[in-house]
Amino acid sequence: MLRAALVFVVAAVGITAILSMGGTAEAATETEAVTTVATTGGTNLLIQNLFNGIVFGLLLALASVGLSLIYGTTGLSNFAHGEMVTFGAMITYFLATPQAVSFPLLPFEFTIAWPFWIAAPVGIAIATFFGWVQDKIIWSQLRRRRVAMIQQMIVSIGLSLALVNFIQWWMGGRPVRLVTSIDPRVQYGPISVGNVTLISMAIAIVALLGVAFFLQRTRLGRATRAVSDNPALASASGIKVDSIIRIVWMMAAGLAALGGILLALYQQGIGFDDGTKLLMMMFAAVTLGGLGHPYGALVGSLIIGVVAEVSTVWLPPDLKFATALGILIIVLLVRPQGILGKAERVG
Amino acid sequence: MDILFDVLRTAIAPSTAAFALAAIGLNFHFGLTGLLNMGQAGFMLLGMYGFAISIQQGWPIWIAILVGLAAAAVFAVLLGWPTLKLRGDYLAIVTIAAAEMVRFLGRSQSLQGLTGASSGIRGSDYKAPFEELSPFPDAIVNIGPFSMHGSRSSSWWLTAVTWGIVLLCAGLFWRLANSPWGRVLKGIREDEDAVRSLGKNVYSYKMQALIIGGVIGALGGITWALGNSVQPDSMGRPTTFWLWTLLLLGGAATVFGPVLGSILFWSSLTLVKSLASAFIPSDVLAPTELEPFSLVLVGVTLMLLVVFRPQGVLGNKKELAF
Repeated sequence: MLRAALVFVVAAVGITAILSMGGTAEAATETEAVTTVATTGGTNLLIQNLFNGIVFGLLLALASVGLSLIYGTTGLSNFAHGEMVTFGAMITYFLATPQAVSFPLLPFEFTIAWPFWIAAPVGIAIATFFGWVQDKIIWSQLRRRRVAMIQQMIVSIGLSLALVNFIQWWMGGRPVRLVTSIDPRVQYGPISVGNVTLISMAIAIVALLGVAFFLQRTRLGRATRAVSDNPALASASGIKVDSIIRIVWMMAAGLAALGGILLALYQQGIGFDDGTKLLMMMFAAVTLGGLGHPYGALVGSLIIGVVAEVSTVWLPPDLKFATALGILIIVLLVRPQGILGKAERVG
Repeated sequence: MDILFDVLRTAIAPSTAAFALAAIGLNFHFGLTGLLNMGQAGFMLLGMYGFAISIQQGWPIWIAILVGLAAAAVFAVLLGWPTLKLRGDYLAIVTIAAAEMVRFLGRSQSLQGLTGASSGIRGSDYKAPFEELSPFPDAIVNIGPFSMHGSRSSSWWLTAVTWGIVLLCAGLFWRLANSPWGRVLKGIREDEDAVRSLGKNVYSYKMQALIIGGVIGALGGITWALGNSVQPDSMGRPTTFWLWTLLLLGGAATVFGPVLGSILFWSSLTLVKSLASAFIPSDVLAPTELEPFSLVLVGVTLMLLVVFRPQGVLGNKKELAF
């Protein structure tokens, strides 16, 4: 935990230093005629992007912590995790929207229209239950049949394809908004941010601290880390590996749903394939932090989020995801075990 | 009866052949060597960009094809260099990420002049040199119940060429898989360390397989583009997943598995869509919902195949890369 924090602080300081150097270099190359106002504008833009990056990184962390926990305890790279993010947001929309909704293949429509603050927790609960169902009917069966990990990975790809299209079928191809009110932006020094975003950040931080507390201080959390470290040994010491894995699946689904809801609030709407698009960012974050390392996902997500947003200062905004993926490939070149991962032979 | 003809038309369509080609490439990666390439769509996209952009520059068609194939070869080297030394799932993550990067770059506004950004390159901008080579008449030609244009776009000419290339590549796969080289690859698939201890350079063999499969994938991309248009978003992750589904459906590590898989995959997709639109009333399943509905079925098929019949229709259970 201490090491994680240390590495993160060093990385954050390093990135800020590099970026501010880049910023000054850019300012210096500009002609002498440019006034100081323009330079402060540049710094403000940088700080604003840095802040946006931290917000995005926190939301990404919520989604990818589960991915990392699943990888740690079962060894599965779950390609269907992006859909869990979309599912959480969509089920909340389903419960909260004042418009008529229906299920696929059922011809009747009805209106639920719960207030958002009820719909969101219920949505997360349903998503958590979906995580339980998924592990119950798919993954635990595959583990019991001793299906190879590569096969399980391809099963998760099939599940991802099925789920994303099911969500499109169910909710339609257009992005939906969870709340209709517009979040006015407030200026805090150089940063302009909406209050909903600030509350989302607070919720994300509390949830991530909750996960850390769970892993570090509770018996179940310790058992989870034991399974993550060595399933056979954990099983021999009397830990019910299968129930731990089921709890991990539920937690992962719930956190992903929370991440999805907050993401939908942050970007003011969510489309059926937003989670699928996010999956690559999650993999980049988890690999960067160290596959399977519980805090690696957090560190990796914040770095990926900051890099993706800050890169838009210099690069075209439609390349920000490409930049983040480029970082993933470079990390695999120089440090395949990730920032926090143990150095081990991975090939 | 109409449905039957639709299905048959899909079965012989040039796009089906293009997917068979890309799946043959994937078969070199996965079936033969056990490499988890999740970015075959990226290879296809690079092939079609290389081809279409070269033609737009006014280069002759054979140079354009070579440019497309070379782009895929370079991509394979760049991809394999960091990742072929790592465990399989790393290769999967990196290939999928790299393929998405190609797509993001292709649809980026900053490359508008070259790639046409998200709207892509129109077919009429690059198809002419290929269509001029056609020996078929420049009109609609009916053969049996099928009616296609002689030489334009998805034509009899393109059908003949693509299926010819498919046969050539299937033959190439058959020769290479049964050569000493292919046996080393199969050895790597079964037990990498054993092959390494025999003094073989595993890294180099994997790289060769990655390049050959990627180049065939690019060829698939070029032929696909000749029947359609260059569209970055049509070569996203779903395309790669379809390729995996049809490869596993036909049978990995077999000569005709990818070809049969492609035919079965696309014709059953057409069959499902036409049956659904004919028999399910539109207030239960609207026409716009047909596409996602059939893709849900594809996803479920992939899951069931991998678990219950990983060797596919033609495959041998002992020859599996899992």
